[in-house]
Formats: sequence, structure tokens, C-alpha cells
Amino acid sequence: MTAMATEPKLSHTAAMILQTIHGGQVYGFSVMEATGLPSGTVYPAMRRLERDGLIVSKWEQQSIADAEQRPLRKYYKLTRGGVATLQAMHERYPLLKKMIADPEVKNA
Amino acid sequence: MNLRLLLRSLPSCLFILRSAAWLAPGQARADWLAEWQGELWHVWHACDSKSRDRFRGSPEITDFCLGAFRDAFWLGWNNPHSTPRRIFRSGSASRCSVTLALWTGISLLACLSLPGVRRAIRPSTYRDADGLVMISSGGYSGAQSPSIGFQDYQSWKTSTRHLFTDLAFYQPIRRRVHVTRHRGAELSIGRASDNIFKLLHLEVPRIAPDRSNGDYAAKLFLSERAWRESFGGDPQLIGSVTEVAGLRVLIAGVVSQDSWPLPGQLDAWLIEDERRLSLLPLKSKGFVLAHLQASESRQRADEWRYLSVPREDGTSDHFDCISLAQRERLPFSILLFTLIVALIALPATTALPLGEYPRHSGRLPWPVRMRRWVFFWSKFALVVPLVCFTSLDAAYGSHPLNSTTAQYIQLAVSFFGFLFAFRWILQDQRKRCPVCLRVLSHPVRVGLASRNFLAWNGTELICAGGHGLLHIPELPTSWFGTQRWQYLDPSWGSLFNDAYMPSAGVV
Repeated sequence: MTAMATEPKLSHTAAMILQTIHGGQVYGFSVMEATGLPSGTVYPAMRRLERDGLIVSKWEQQSIADAEQRPLRKYYKLTRGGVATLQAMHERYPLLKKMIADPEVKNA
Repeated sequence: MNLRLLLRSLPSCLFILRSAAWLAPGQARADWLAEWQGELWHVWHACDSKSRDRFRGSPEITDFCLGAFRDAFWLGWNNPHSTPRRIFRSGSASRCSVTLALWTGISLLACLSLPGVRRAIRPSTYRDADGLVMISSGGYSGAQSPSIGFQDYQSWKTSTRHLFTDLAFYQPIRRRVHVTRHRGAELSIGRASDNIFKLLHLEVPRIAPDRSNGDYAAKLFLSERAWRESFGGDPQLIGSVTEVAGLRVLIAGVVSQDSWPLPGQLDAWLIEDERRLSLLPLKSKGFVLAHLQASESRQRADEWRYLSVPREDGTSDHFDCISLAQRERLPFSILLFTLIVALIALPATTALPLGEYPRHSGRLPWPVRMRRWVFFWSKFALVVPLVCFTSLDAAYGSHPLNSTTAQYIQLAVSFFGFLFAFRWILQDQRKRCPVCLRVLSHPVRVGLASRNFLAWNGTELICAGGHGLLHIPELPTSWFGTQRWQYLDPSWGSLFNDAYMPSAGVV
């Protein structure tokens, strides 16, 4: 069995969201802003990615939210499986990197 | 403040989120709501900086909040323990019951919406339906075409007084009715004797005295449908004079077509007095309705009666006399008959036993054991009305009540419907797990046909919830005649998907 056969096949939208989350500390609204997708698309897609083990979510610490005087944020980040899938998606969707830049590219 | 602005306010947005939260699974609801409320804060501030109107917000905020419904629905639907998911899980008993109930509901709605079917299932509206009989030539009782000669009707009026108190005649004809010079419609008219409505106890509206001046030999009653469709429901039409088949007639009123129980799809009734009616050719055919003497109707209300009329040459003509009550009960009699015949024919199409189940199933809680039988009988309870309604829809949806074609259609649809439905119930029950009632899956061929006398060979199915295995022999033998169920020990549960395990207690 090849490695490709076990990797989930993602839609372009899901790949875009995965690419955005790869950027680092992201929460739902920041994904919406980066991708331009509506909330009704972004959040269910993130639930699906989380269910498939490609991303994980974690609530930030209360002290950070208190310090910035805002509600708690739920951050999302890629798992190892998510990173591997994203790399496979770069082959499938070559323009993905150009649409949403990698964090390394951004920092450079 | 209009509705659009109200929807964009912060309390409205929070209300939308709280409403959407009810779609999310209970255990994840608080977490889900906290995340969306937190996100709303960011969206609100982002939009606020654009619009500079703190109260009104922005249309994007409402769009953002409405997206919460989709997210919550997704979470709820994909929760393995959610009620809708459990109900509609593939192969589950509840999915089967809901589907059957849905089809039964659809067929019932069709029954209620089709006028012909509605007329067939409606309870009798006649006060004396047992005493009213329809006379037709022998073997023509279900025919929609007239079979009695006008000459016979004329002679029966005097010769059958010991049997009938009154006789009425009508003959369907097709004529054009002109209301004005340029306005008319071709209608199916029942040319009838003047006692027909009285015999049927039909309510006929009275004509205003000032408009019914003049002595008319015939009166025309329009059906409600013809009055609305052909004459636009014009109230001025009632009481006016028109011409039908060269005869000046008074349009005397409108009669509900639903109350007409006799053969012939009539748009109007041309009521003529005996003098005018006697001008009909003696050989012309029509329908005859008669009212039985009180002693006759009491004695043999349900019997099929025959009228035998001797001729001059020594032979006799035979006529069928069927009471209106009997005609109205015919669809139900057909259903009862086909139900019984289908039950008798069932063993010829499939085996009746449901299989062998070990006695130690007694350790299962009694609600679980009872549920299997409740499900089994509930399928019968849903299938019987489904077949009844479907057969009525098929028979009377496009054919008139009591037509022979409709009766044959109903007979065929209900018989084969009952037979195959009962067969399916038994087969479906046999391939379900007795604990969770899910359809068994993963069939495996076991054994070899050549070793049939040394070991069993056949098919083995497993319950996806891990409750047991079903062995179905390929060839029934004296030691393995029917399918056998084998309960699995609860320790096997660890091998199966947890999502299915609770179904041992919940359908």
C-alpha cells in the first residue's frame, strides 16, 4: 500500500484552511480573514479536519485573555499527520502556497 | 427600528448563537457556544471599526452568526450518539420504522387529496343506504355503462310494487349547454326521473320564487365542479333559463358532486317529469335505482339480490340488485378478502419460522427481548395501512368508484402488496440482530458443500454491534433445519466500534 493511498483527500477549501492553520497561532476568525471564506464553511471544515486528526484545538490561558481584555480564544494547529497531508496537498494544489503564504516565507 | 437593523444588534447575534447551540450535541454545547461567542467578539470589533456604529453593527456580523447553524448542525449530525444519527443509522430498526411511517403518511395524504379515493373511503352519507338498490343486467353490476332498457323500467314501476316502494331512472348523455349565445359548455348530463334526488335523500337548493316563474318541463342541476369550471361560479346562472337538446330548461341549482354515489361522472342532472321522460325510446338504456320495501331491506340487507323477470316466450331475464351500502363497502370488502388470501398464500412464498434463538437469551433484559417483537408487529401495523392506502390510490385515483377496472386494480394491488409486504417483514426480521435490531452484515461463506453430511456449510453474518452471529445453512438438514443465532459474550465488545455498543439498550 502506498503512502498516498492512506492520506485523506481534501477539497481545495479544506486544503486552504489547512494551509492557513499551518501559519501558526490561528483561531476561527483569523482563518476567515485569511481565506475570505464564510463562517458556515470555515468552522465545519475545521471540525472535519480535527475529527480526521489533521489539526488539534486548544483553549488559550485565561490570563492571556484577561491581559488583553478579550474573551478566550480557541487556537488550532496542525498535527504531524496534518503537516504530511498538507505537503501532499501542495503537490495536488500547486498554487496553494501562493494563495496563502507559508510562515517561513512570511518571516523571510 | 426595522427588522434588518434589529437582527444586526448584539443581543440578536447572541440570541442567534444560543439558538444554533441547540443543534450541537449536549456534551459539546457549552464549549461550542464559548468559542462562537469569543469569535463574535472579534468579528464585532473588526466590523465596528469599519462601520463606526456600535449599535447597528454590520450585515457581515449577521452572516457570521447564521453560519453557526451550519457548524452546529454538522457537529450534531456527526455525533455518533446524536438522536437523528441513531434514528437514521443505516439498517437500524428506527430507520426502517420511520421510512415505513413516512410512506404510509404519503399514501394517506394521496388518499385524502384524490377526490375519487376520498369518495371511496368516506362513510356513507345516506340515511337508508341498505334500502336503496341499484338494478343492472346480470353480470353488469360493476359496469359504468347503462344496461337497463327504458321499457323494463316502465314495466317494473307497476309489476314490482311488492318489492320496491319507488323506482328512479337516469340515462347519461352528452350535450352542449348554452347559457348565452356565445357562452356554453359540453357537459355529461344525467337525464333522470324527477324522484331521483328524493330517493337518494340529496339536499337540493330551492330556487328564489321570483326567478322560478314559469312552468318548465325540465330542470337542470349543475355539479359544483361544472358550475365553477365551465361557468365561472356565476351565481346569476341559478334561476336562469337555458336550452338543452332543443328543450328549454331552468337551471335550478348546484349539487355537490361528492354526494352522487351512482355510476357515471356527471356534470349535470336534467330532471324531467314522467310525461317528458316517457318520450324516451323504449329500447334506450339507462340506470335504475330502487327503494326496497321495509320488510325486504330489514331481512336481507347484506345479501346479493337477483331479480328474475319472466318473458312471454317462457324464458326469463336476470338482473342484479346491489344495495348502495354494499357498493360503498366494496373497497373495504376487497381489502379484507385480499388480506386473508395473502395470509393464506404466505407460507407458499417464504418460510414462516424466524429461526432458532438460544434459551439463555433470558439474561437479556426483558425490554430488549420485548423490543424485537414490538418492532416485528409494528411493521405489520405500518405495512397494512400502507398497502390499503396504496391500493385505494391506484384503483380509485383515476377510475370511478365501483367500476370493474378499479375493483380489479384494487384486488391485484392489495393482494400482491400484502403478500410481498408480509414476505418482506419475515425476511427482514430474520436478518436482524435480536438485541440491537440492526441488519446483520459481513456475510461469510463457511464450510464446503461436499462436506454437508460431516459439518454445516452455509453463510455466517455478524452483528456490527458485536451481539452475536447468525448461521444460515445452505441446505436445510435434519440437524440444521433453520438459521441459528449465537449470542457473543460481552467480552467481545472490545473488538467492535463503541458507537454501536449502546444500541444494546437503545434502538
